[in-house]
Amino acid sequence: MRFAVRLLSGLVPLFAMTVFAQGGPTFEDILNGFGDPERWLTYSGDYSGRRHSPLTQITPENINQLRPIWTFQTGVTTRGRGFETTPLVDDGVLYVTGSNNYAWAIDARSGRAFWSYRRNLPDDLTYGASAPVNRGFGMLGNTLFMVTLDAHLLAMDRRSGDIIWDTQLADYRVGYAATLAPLVIDGKVIVGISGGEYATRGFIDAYAPATGERLWRFNTIPGPGESGSETWPDDPEVLARGGGGAWMTGSFDPELNLIYWGVGNPNPDYFGDLRPGDNLYSNSIVALDADRGDLRWHYQFTPHDINDWDSNHMPVLADAEWQGEPRKLVMLANRNGFFYVLDRINGELLLGKPFTGTTWAREIGPDGRPIILNDGSQGCLPDPWGSTNFMPPSYNPDLELFYVTARETCATYVPEEPAYTPGQASFGGVVFIEPDGTGALRALDIHTGDLRWEFTYPSPTFGGVMTTASGLVFAGDHEGNFMAFEAATGENLWHYQTGSRIWGAAATTFMLDGRQHVLIPSGTTLTAFALPE
Amino acid sequence: MLWRLTGYRQQEFRGNAKFMGWRRAIKFDSFMRLVWGGMLGGIAVACREEMARYRIIGIGIALAALSLLSVWQVAAAQAVNPYADDVRAIRAGGALYRAQCATCHGADGKGIVAIDAPDLTLMRAREGVGDEFVYNIIRDGIPGSIMPPHGLTETELWTLVSFLATLSESGTDAEFDGDAANGRRLFADNCAECHRAGEEAGGVLGPPLTGITRRRAPDALVQSIREPSGRVERGFRPVAVETDVGESVTGVLKNEDAFSLQLVTEAQDLRAFRRDGVRQITRLGESLMPVFSEAELDAGELADLLAFLNANQ
Repeated sequence: MRFAVRLLSGLVPLFAMTVFAQGGPTFEDILNGFGDPERWLTYSGDYSGRRHSPLTQITPENINQLRPIWTFQTGVTTRGRGFETTPLVDDGVLYVTGSNNYAWAIDARSGRAFWSYRRNLPDDLTYGASAPVNRGFGMLGNTLFMVTLDAHLLAMDRRSGDIIWDTQLADYRVGYAATLAPLVIDGKVIVGISGGEYATRGFIDAYAPATGERLWRFNTIPGPGESGSETWPDDPEVLARGGGGAWMTGSFDPELNLIYWGVGNPNPDYFGDLRPGDNLYSNSIVALDADRGDLRWHYQFTPHDINDWDSNHMPVLADAEWQGEPRKLVMLANRNGFFYVLDRINGELLLGKPFTGTTWAREIGPDGRPIILNDGSQGCLPDPWGSTNFMPPSYNPDLELFYVTARETCATYVPEEPAYTPGQASFGGVVFIEPDGTGALRALDIHTGDLRWEFTYPSPTFGGVMTTASGLVFAGDHEGNFMAFEAATGENLWHYQTGSRIWGAAATTFMLDGRQHVLIPSGTTLTAFALPE
Repeated sequence: MLWRLTGYRQQEFRGNAKFMGWRRAIKFDSFMRLVWGGMLGGIAVACREEMARYRIIGIGIALAALSLLSVWQVAAAQAVNPYADDVRAIRAGGALYRAQCATCHGADGKGIVAIDAPDLTLMRAREGVGDEFVYNIIRDGIPGSIMPPHGLTETELWTLVSFLATLSESGTDAEFDGDAANGRRLFADNCAECHRAGEEAGGVLGPPLTGITRRRAPDALVQSIREPSGRVERGFRPVAVETDVGESVTGVLKNEDAFSLQLVTEAQDLRAFRRDGVRQITRLGESLMPVFSEAELDAGELADLLAFLNANQ
C-alpha cells in the first residue's frame, strides 16, 4: 500500500499539472483575497486573517429580512466539540470539511451535495480521538488540501473527492493529529500539527502542492543546542516531548514574505517543574520566512505556561497609523486574557492589555513580559480553554475595532507529575472549573485595547466572528444563536436559533446570482442565509 | 457475514473477549465459523437420506455448536472486576483518572456541562451500568463524541473502574428500615405536589425522585429536605420574571440564551419569555422548595419517607 502511494505520488506531478491547468483558483486569485465577491478561497477569506468582507448588500437597515435559504445536514456529530469548518467557495460550489474527516462538495444554490468523502480512520487514534474536528480545506486549482486526525495531509480532486496524494505528517500513535485548514501560498501548502497534550514535539511544515513533498519544517520546540533551547532544561528528552502544537491556521504577508503562526502549550500542560525556563517557542507567535521556514522573530505571550493557554489564534494583520506613524501590525487576543498588538516586521510589542477580568496579570512589563500577580494561589484563573480560543476574531479597518469572543471563567489548577506512557496524554495535573462562567462578544479599540462595547452570553462561548464593510458583525454563541450586530455600537440587530452550539466556527459570506449569501456551521448542519429575492 | 443473522454484533463480543482468559485466545471470526460450521454441518448430516443412521449425531453436532454460543455468553456474564474495592488499585486508578480523564470530566468527576462531559458520580445510578459497562466505555470510547478510546492495559482499565466506583454518589448500600407505607402517605401530603416518585402521581417543579436513593446517599437526601437551598441542581434554579406588561411569574429556569428564557412556572406550566419583553429577571437565592424542619417532619417520618423513596426504583 505504502509502495503504491509512493508510486502514485511519483506520477502525480504530471497529472496534477494538467489538473491545475483545467481551472480553479491560482495563487494570484487567493492573493486577490476578497477581490472576487463570488469567492472565498482560504480560511479567513484572505491572507490577512481579518475575516472582514467588503460585501455590502446585507446592511444594518435590511438585516431584519435575512432568512435561511437551505440547510445541509452532515449527519456527523462531534459531541462535546463543534462543526468547526470554514467552507471554501468557488464557482457556486462549497468545499466543506467535517468532523471525523468527512468532506463534501455542495451546490451553493441548493445545498445539495455533489460528492461526499469519508476517511477510513484507525480505531486507535490518540489526540485525534479527543478532538475529532477539522477546520477546513485549502485549495489550489482543482486540488483541495485537508489534514486528518491520523496526522496525514491529503490532496483531493475537488471535482470528485478522489485522493491525489496522501502524505504522513507524523505518527499519530505517539499522540499527533491534525485539525487545521491548510494555508496555501505560492507553491506551498502550510500546515501545523496538533498533540501538545502528549509527549510530542510540534512543527509547522510546507509541502509542494503537486506532489506532497515536504519543502521545509519549522520545529516549534528547538533541538539541543539550537537557539531557544537555553529556555529549557539541558535534556534532549525534555525537548523531544516539549509540546508546542501548531494546530491553528496562520496568516501571511506576501510583501514581507512572512508567515505568522501561533504555537501551543508546552508539555506537560500543568506540571512545570519538569521544564524550568520560558520553554520557547511554546505560547508564542512565530514569524517564518515563507521560502525556507526560518524563524524571523517571535514573541512569547505566556512564558513557562502551566495553564494550557496555547497561543493558537489567527494572527490578524493590518496596516494602521500607530501613534502618528504608519505601521504594519499583527494583532491577536490571547487565551491568557490579553489583547496584543505587535509590529509585524520585527515583533516589537506595541500594546498588551487585558480584555477579560483575569487576575493572572493586568499589565505587561517594560521587558515585554507579563507581570504575574496571581499564579493561581490568589484565587481562580481563566480555565484551560482560556479567555478566548482559536475561534476566529475579526477586524474592521474602517472602525479600527477588533472583535473577539471572550470567556470569563474560574478554574483552580492542581499540578501533578505525569507518568509518561506512550500514546497517552500527559496533562500533568487536574483542573477544577467552576460551572457558572459567562461569555461575551467584545469590540476592542486597537490603539488602547479599551472595550468599546460588549454583548454578553449566558455561558462561555466558542463561536467565531465575521465582519462586513456594511458595518455588520456576525457572531455565534454556545446556545446556538447566530447573530448580527451593528459594528460601531454593538446593537443586536438580528438573530437566528440554529439548534446547536456554534463552536469554533465563524461565518463566511459571498455573492451568488447577485445575492449576498452568509453561511454558518452549527452542530451537524451548515445553513445558508440571504435576503428575499 | 452469517453471524449477523444471530443478532450478535462483533463489537459486543470483542468487548468481552479482551479479559476472558480462554476467549482472548480465540478470534471472534474463527469462533463464529466454528459455530456456524458446526450447526450447518450437523443439519446437513441430519437431513441427508443416505446418512440417516447418523441423524442423531448430526443433530447432536448442531446442538453442540449452538450451545457454544451460550457458553460464550456465560463467560461474558462472568466479567467481574478483579480489583474491586482494592485500595491499591483505587489509588492507581485515581492517578490514571487525573492524568487521562479529569481534563474533561473534572477533577471531582462531576463533568463539564460546556463540553457535554457527563457527571461520573451519577453514572452508576443508571440502569445497567456496572463494572463491565464502565470498562468497555473507557476502552472503546464513544464514537461521534470527544470521548476517545483508551489503549490502557487490562489492569489499568480495571483500576480506573475501581477508582470510579469510589466517586459514585450511590446510596445502594444504605439500610432503609422506615415504614414505607407511612412514607407513601407523607410523600403524597408533602412532596407529590412538586416531585414524582415511581408510578405515584406527582408534580414537575422539582426533580423526579424515582431511584433517588441509588444516586444520593441518605445523608445528602436528608440535607436536601432540611435545607433545600443548600444545593439546587441546574434546571431547578428559581427565578422571578417581570414582564413589560407587568406580569410577574416565578418558576424554575430550565434553559436560557441571549434572547430567551424557558421556565416551568410555580403553576407547573411551561412558559417561555423573550428577553426583549421582560423588564426584570431575578435569580432567587432560596429554593422554591419549603424547608422541612424537625417540627414539620421528625426523624421517624424522615426514615419512613426514605424507605418509601427506596421502594420506588
